[in-house]
Amino acid sequence: MLDRFPYGKAPLCLLVIAIVASALRVLAVSNRPKRADLVFVTLSAYHYEAYQKPIREFERSRGISVRLQFANATSLQSRLQNAMLAGTEIPDMAELVENSLSFFARGPRKDIGLLDLTDRLHESGLDKRLVSSRLSLWTSGGRTYAFPHDVHPVMLAYRRDLVEQLGIDVTQLDTWAKFVDAGRRVTRDVDGDGTIDRYMIDLSYDGSWSLDALLLQRGVQLFDDAGKVAFDNEVTVDVIRWLLRQSFGPEKIAYDPDASGSSGQSLMKAMTDGLVLFVWTPDWRSRVFQDDAPHLAGKMALMPLPAWEPGGRRTSVWGGTGLVIAKKTKHPDWAWDLANFLYYDPKEIGARFARTNIVPVLEDAWVLPELDVPNPYYSNQPIGRMYADLAPSTPPRRLTPLSFVAEQKLYEAYARSLEYYRRSGEDGLAGAIRGELARAQEYVNLRAERVAALAGAQ
Amino acid sequence: MPLERSPPKPARPKPPVEWAPYLFLAPYIVLSAAFFVVPFFSAAVLAFYETNGPRTRVFVGFANFRFLLHDPMFYTALANTTAFACASVLLQLPLSMGLALLLNTTEGRLKGFFRLILFSPNLVGQIFVGILFSVLFAPRYGLINRTFQALFHWGLEERWLGNPRLVMPAIIVTSLWVWVGFNMVYFLAALQGVDKTLEEAARIDGANVWQVFWHVTLPSIRHVVVFVVITTIIGSYQLFELPLALLNSSSGRGPANSGLTLITYLNELAFESGDLGLGSALGWMVAIIIFAVSIVQIRISRVLED
Repeated sequence: MLDRFPYGKAPLCLLVIAIVASALRVLAVSNRPKRADLVFVTLSAYHYEAYQKPIREFERSRGISVRLQFANATSLQSRLQNAMLAGTEIPDMAELVENSLSFFARGPRKDIGLLDLTDRLHESGLDKRLVSSRLSLWTSGGRTYAFPHDVHPVMLAYRRDLVEQLGIDVTQLDTWAKFVDAGRRVTRDVDGDGTIDRYMIDLSYDGSWSLDALLLQRGVQLFDDAGKVAFDNEVTVDVIRWLLRQSFGPEKIAYDPDASGSSGQSLMKAMTDGLVLFVWTPDWRSRVFQDDAPHLAGKMALMPLPAWEPGGRRTSVWGGTGLVIAKKTKHPDWAWDLANFLYYDPKEIGARFARTNIVPVLEDAWVLPELDVPNPYYSNQPIGRMYADLAPSTPPRRLTPLSFVAEQKLYEAYARSLEYYRRSGEDGLAGAIRGELARAQEYVNLRAERVAALAGAQ
Repeated sequence: MPLERSPPKPARPKPPVEWAPYLFLAPYIVLSAAFFVVPFFSAAVLAFYETNGPRTRVFVGFANFRFLLHDPMFYTALANTTAFACASVLLQLPLSMGLALLLNTTEGRLKGFFRLILFSPNLVGQIFVGILFSVLFAPRYGLINRTFQALFHWGLEERWLGNPRLVMPAIIVTSLWVWVGFNMVYFLAALQGVDKTLEEAARIDGANVWQVFWHVTLPSIRHVVVFVVITTIIGSYQLFELPLALLNSSSGRGPANSGLTLITYLNELAFESGDLGLGSALGWMVAIIIFAVSIVQIRISRVLED
C-alpha cells in the first residue's frame, strides 16, 4: 500500500504527520477550558504563591472564576506588548515592573490599552491612602494606569557578626562621608595575597542600579516637571564622581561580585565569605537573602542608608511592581475589586508581608502587627517596622515615554566616564563627566523631538 | 544471431493526482506568507512612518532612515556587529575546519562520539548559553577567571562583561563554544565526500599536507565553504539572543554600548522604546547590509574560483 502512494513513503509519512498534528491541534482547541471570568498574570513566584489563597476566597465570595498565571517579568512584558500591538487576546489583569509603563502609555490616550484608573482612585479616596511617591511611577501624562503594589525602600543589609568584630558602630554611619571613612579602614587584603578580600559595600560596577538609587536619594530625576530630560547637572556629576571613586579609586571601598543580576550566586558567595560587608537591600531583596543564603541567619542585620548630608534622606528606592487592568476587559468592576482585595485588604497585606518582606504601599496598613514581628534572620530586628518608617521619605520617580532611553544613556555616560577615570584619574574628571552627560542628554532630546514632532503632526 | 526485441518496458504509472505537490507545498507557502511575506511588506511600509503607540502613525518619508544615518548608536552597533562577523569568519570557521580535518582522520565510533560532543553545545538555546557564560565569566568566583589565575596568576578580578574592551571578546568566545561544532559538521560531511584518490595522487607527486589541503581538499569542498561563510555572516549580523542573555543587566548593550548589536538596537528602538517605524527602518538597513555583504562574498568566491 505504501509503495502505491504516488510520491513514495516519505511524502506519505509527512502527510500522515500533518493530518495527525492538525487533528491533535483541533482536539486541543476544542477541549480548552472555558476562559475564566478574570485572567490575572503575575510576574513573581512569591506573588503567585501568596495570591493563591485570597483568590480562592475572592472567587467564593463573588461566585466568579479567576485564573492566576505566572510568567517571567521580561516575557510577560514582551507578550503583553506584542498582543496589544497585534490586537490579540490579553489577560484582564497583569503585573508590570517599574518603567514598563513608558511603553504601554505611549501615544494618544485613546490608544492606550490600559484602563485609566485616575478617577476611580480619586473617587474611592485610595490615592490619598497610598504613598504618593509610588503613584508617580504608574502615572503618565497626568493619568494613573496601575495600582502600585509596593514602596521598596532601600536599607543596607550587613554581616552583623563581622561588622561588630571590626568595631564598626553602625549607628554612627549616618552620612556617606562617615561610611566611606569607615570603609577605608576595613577594606583590606586580609590574607596578604595581593588581592583585596574585604570590601565595605556592594555597588554595581556599571553604575546601573547603584547610580539610579543614589541619584534618587539625592533628589535627581531623569526628567523635570515638564517632562524634559534633566540629568545633565552638577549633582549628577558629583554622584558619578563619588561612585567612581568608591568603586575604582585608589582608596576604593566597593566591589560588585555579581556578574549578571541583582541576587545571583556570586553575591551570596561574597556575603558568605565576608567579601562585602554591606549590601544594598530593598525590602524585596531582604527576602531573597533569607531564601538564598539561609546559613547567614542571625548573622545579618539592617540599617538605613547613610544620608548625603547630616539629617538628609536615609533611604532610596529600587524596583517596583504595579497591577494594570486591560481596557478590553469585560469585567472592569470585578478586576478593580480583585486588585483592591489583593493589594489593599489589611488581612491580605499582613499575610503577604510575612511571606515576602514587602512593605505595603497603603499607609493605613503600616499599623499591622505583622510589621513589628522580630525577624530572626536579621538578628531579631523588626524589619517591617524599619522599612515602613523609611517608606514616607522614598523619592518619587517621574515617568515619560523616554524613561528607558534616558536611563540607558545615563549608564552609557557613566561607563564612558569610567573609561576616562581609568585613563586620566581625577584630572579633568568633572568636565569629562559633564561632557558625557551632555552628549547623552542630547541623544535623548533627539528622540524626544521625534515624539514631539509626531504629537504636533496629529 | 537474430536480435530479439526486448519486451516493452512497462510505463511508469503517471501520478493520478496533480494537486499533490501543491498540497505538500501548501503549509510552507501559508506559513511563509503569514510569518514572512506579510511582515516583510508591513515593515517596509512602517519604515516610512513615525509611530506613537500601537495605533497612531504619520507618514514621514525617509526621515527614519535619515535619523539612523546620523545616529551614533547605529554606527556603534554596526561596528560591533561587523567586528563579530569578522571574528566569526576568521576564528570560528578555521577552528571548525581544523576540528573537521582532525575528526576526518579518526575512524569508527570515536568519530561519532566527538562529533556529538562538539555539536552538542548547539543543541542548547542561546539564552541558556548566555546565562551559563555570564556565571563562568563572573569576577573572582567564575571558572574562567579562576583558571586564568591558576595558570597565569592573572585575571581573577577581570570584568569580562563589565569592561568595554573585553565585552566583545567575551561574546566571541561564547559564540565559539556554540557554533564551532555546528559548522564542523558541515565541513566534516563535505570532507567525507572528497575523492581520496586525488589526495593520494597529490601525495605521491610529493605534495605536503598543507599543499594537499590547499590545492586538492579545499577546492573540492569550496561550495560548502562558501555556503558556511555566507550563513555565518548572515547569522552574525542577526546576533541578538546571546548578548541579550550575557549582558542581561544592561539589556544586551554592555558598558558604553560595547556589546550593542544591530538587532539588539532594533529591539530597543521597536520594543523597548516603542518606536516601531524607526525599528522597521533599521530592520531594512540590516537586510540591505546582509544582502550587500552576501553579494560581495559570492563575487569574491567566484573570482577565487576562476
